[in-house]
Amino acid sequence: MSANDDQTDVERVLSGDIPAFEGLVRRWQGPLVNLAYRFCHDRGRAEEMAQEAFLRAYRALGQWRKDAVFSTWLFALATNLYRSELRRIPARTVPIEDVPEPRDPRPSDGGLEEHDSDVVVRRAVGALPPKYREALVLFYFHEMDVTTAARSLGLPEGTVKARLSRGREILRSKLPQLLTVQRLKEAI
Amino acid sequence: MTRLTEPEDDEMNRILSREEEILPSSGFAVSVMDAIRREAAAPPPIPFPWKRALPGLVVGGFGLALALVTVIVAIVLGIRASMSAQFSVSSSVLTSILESLGGGFQRNLEGAACWTVLALLVAFVSVKLSMRLASGRA
Repeated sequence: MSANDDQTDVERVLSGDIPAFEGLVRRWQGPLVNLAYRFCHDRGRAEEMAQEAFLRAYRALGQWRKDAVFSTWLFALATNLYRSELRRIPARTVPIEDVPEPRDPRPSDGGLEEHDSDVVVRRAVGALPPKYREALVLFYFHEMDVTTAARSLGLPEGTVKARLSRGREILRSKLPQLLTVQRLKEAI
Repeated sequence: MTRLTEPEDDEMNRILSREEEILPSSGFAVSVMDAIRREAAAPPPIPFPWKRALPGLVVGGFGLALALVTVIVAIVLGIRASMSAQFSVSSSVLTSILESLGGGFQRNLEGAACWTVLALLVAFVSVKLSMRLASGRA
């Protein structure tokens, strides 16, 4: 349904009906802003990057070949833009060596606070080298679908799997205590 | 659809899948559409006038190559003249030396011309490529 709507809107825009682009913006603004937010964790910058992505999509609309659904093309374009934007002006992160271990992995209730662990893991992801971070961000954004993540990154699936594996390995080595405690907590 | 389902990654999967969702601000779509309208109203970028520039570039390239060759030939002739004036060796020996030197310079000249043409080609391709990239981004 949405794919048909996208195609109809694209055809209208290409035939000169510029306001029809608003349908595409309304449908995809949430995912595009959220994807940008996962890259930079800054709401204002996420919206700026998403706006630029829509602008690029508008300029390149004629290049969508319809061999993939519109969203795949749009995500690939946006991902490419976000990656180059973050290479140009990196998001504020701390080096992976400086990511702090959880303050107290065993608080009074015997488990790690969920919020703390989330913050620490996300900081660690943010501090990964870009190629691993991008693979992880796209993988979880696309609900753990490697194929879609690979299409968005414009990389073969095997490469994305290897980067995910290496990224997880770095995270596990950085956060062994956190993950072990989390596992214990869930077992109780 | 391919999924990674290694059980030891479950905790990490749970944590990273819990990423908070944000909603675009209320004016976001309007702001995007304003930018789109401005873009649509703007005149298209002026393409680089290759048809007009190409003859000039080609002539300039050949002129440059010709100038280089002329300079090299002048240097060779200058060396030849000074050698014949300074050294009073037998004419047969001088002739044979000059011939061997001349052959060397001839080879060098051919080499220099090849390199010049190659450099011009590389410069042309790089200009063309950067123009294409720039127009793609514009």
